Amino acid sequence: MAEVKEPFEFKQCVSLLKSTGKKAKSLRELRDVIAVVSDESIFHHTYQYFLKGHILEYTNDFAHWAGESLEERALSEHFSNIDPYAFKNMDELRQELLNVIDSYLENFPEPRGAMPGDEFYFNETITLTFPVGIRVKNLAEFLIAIKYIDAAAIYYHFYEARIRLGVDDFSKWLEDSLGKKELSEKIRSIDLFMHSIEGIRDHIIEAVEKNVRTGMEAIER
Amino acid sequence: MISQFSGISPKGDLILLHKLGEKLNNRSFLHINSTLAGGGVAEILHRMIPVLRDLGIDARWEVIEGDERFFDITKKIHNSLQGNFENITDDMWQHHYEVNRRNAERLNLDADAVLIHDPQPAPLIEFRKSGRWMWRCHIDVSHPLKEVCDYLLRYCGKYDAAIFSVAKFARAMGIDEFIIPPSIDPISEKNRELTGEEISETLNKFQIPHDRPIILQVSRFDIFKDPIGVIKAYRLVKKYNDCILILAGSPATDDPEGEIVLKEVQDYASDDPDIHILLLPPFSDKDINALQRAATVVLQKSLKEGFGLTVSEAMWKGKPVIGGATGGIPLQLVHGITGFLVHSVEGAAFRIRQFLNNPEMAKRTGEKGREYVRNNFLITRQIRDYLSVWYAMENKGKSVIEL
Repeated sequence: MAEVKEPFEFKQCVSLLKSTGKKAKSLRELRDVIAVVSDESIFHHTYQYFLKGHILEYTNDFAHWAGESLEERALSEHFSNIDPYAFKNMDELRQELLNVIDSYLENFPEPRGAMPGDEFYFNETITLTFPVGIRVKNLAEFLIAIKYIDAAAIYYHFYEARIRLGVDDFSKWLEDSLGKKELSEKIRSIDLFMHSIEGIRDHIIEAVEKNVRTGMEAIER
Repeated sequence: MISQFSGISPKGDLILLHKLGEKLNNRSFLHINSTLAGGGVAEILHRMIPVLRDLGIDARWEVIEGDERFFDITKKIHNSLQGNFENITDDMWQHHYEVNRRNAERLNLDADAVLIHDPQPAPLIEFRKSGRWMWRCHIDVSHPLKEVCDYLLRYCGKYDAAIFSVAKFARAMGIDEFIIPPSIDPISEKNRELTGEEISETLNKFQIPHDRPIILQVSRFDIFKDPIGVIKAYRLVKKYNDCILILAGSPATDDPEGEIVLKEVQDYASDDPDIHILLLPPFSDKDINALQRAATVVLQKSLKEGFGLTVSEAMWKGKPVIGGATGGIPLQLVHGITGFLVHSVEGAAFRIRQFLNNPEMAKRTGEKGREYVRNNFLITRQIRDYLSVWYAMENKGKSVIEL
């Protein structure tokens, strides 16, 4: 199996949760705080949602709170439909969150407040990144590593990478270093909002195994 | 020490612990609390200090000393932080400070990082010599008595950072406030693997038959743990599924209210031979472990809860858990995935029946729960977080830190 000069080094990240001291018990309060809270907090409640391993029908904490605590299904659907990666910067994402709330308040009756203790608590994180001591040089090694690494490493390379590079680390390496364009596109096309991290892992394994198998069949012929 | 967690804790947590150990090698980390034994804080410190030392950190643990009056005052402070009315006079606050001043003379407070646990030693910050000081609050302070909380903040606001177990316990203190949930120790007597023989031994000791499904709640006999609600739920289930109920908890000899609740529970259970009310003496960790492992479904039907670590204990044993949607329980039970959250007796009964009638679903939920605990609520994650807070304070201002 062809080996590359530039191996893929697996990294992982861990998030340390910090409270901003801000909370909201109603949709209007949520709007007021979203308008002023730090970029880090907006980042945490949207991009980092999947790091928490939630496995519900929501795609960010605002949708989760609207659905579970306010029990406002339509609002929750609107929030869930926001793709944070579609925005150029945090201000645009923040504005979209505000637009969703404003539009909801215009078109629906005022939602009830959250039950005591069920308020929305605005947090942010400090992220620690570190190499996990695994470097791979070919597709077979990559496949073994993907099966072995922690879910937090998948998060780092598949989700977090999009903020750094605009694309996930795996497909970029497979294309740039191994020349696996088709496999790379297959992995890039996995809908990151529709799976848990373990689901993403399974899809990557499936795609890589299929590619390895096809390669072996080609040799046999 | 740390090697004991290989194959149990997530690989990434162990790698990060070693990396942080290298970064903070030979530096001193002082923990101070108010008791050497008894209570969750002492329990976790007993386990944590050897791990920190094994990582190359010069970890120390000191315990403050105080007279009876001091502990009476700090108990009142504790209660009022949990929302009960207590009158803490200026004289009492002065004694609280004075005892800490005397401890400051006795203790070596010199360390690179100092972690002060709970309100009892909080005034030690006034005698800080060097290093980064963190105040760790283990208490549910979501609805504290304002005056007591405000007074205590005079001390806590002087720390470099505060650490709370749940986001809703944090307050706007003007310092960095981190959220670090508590954890369970997977290799302790309460959570280690048990043989079938060890489990049977406990069941035989308490004369519990194992011919039918067992519903279990482990908790103090406290109205907020809703033991009567648990019996009501069991009776609803019993109409459809034959089962046994175990309510296990320590006798609350120092808590008159506890005795009243226990009597009420015993009366309510009446002479139902399938309800087993067990009064376990302190240090019954192995029996609790065995009961949790023998259970078919575990309940924590609390109406009010701090964090509710018994939920993680049962999840770690692969059990399907049903919990009241309160305190830290929703952080552990992702509804429908790692367990069920309920809001009523009827809800609890319905979910018990679901688990009893769908063993496959119960198994799947238990497996997901165990993995969730592995990733979020093991002691290695808590140690990792403490070291990360220390390291983050050394790199203040950075939201991403590369190691």
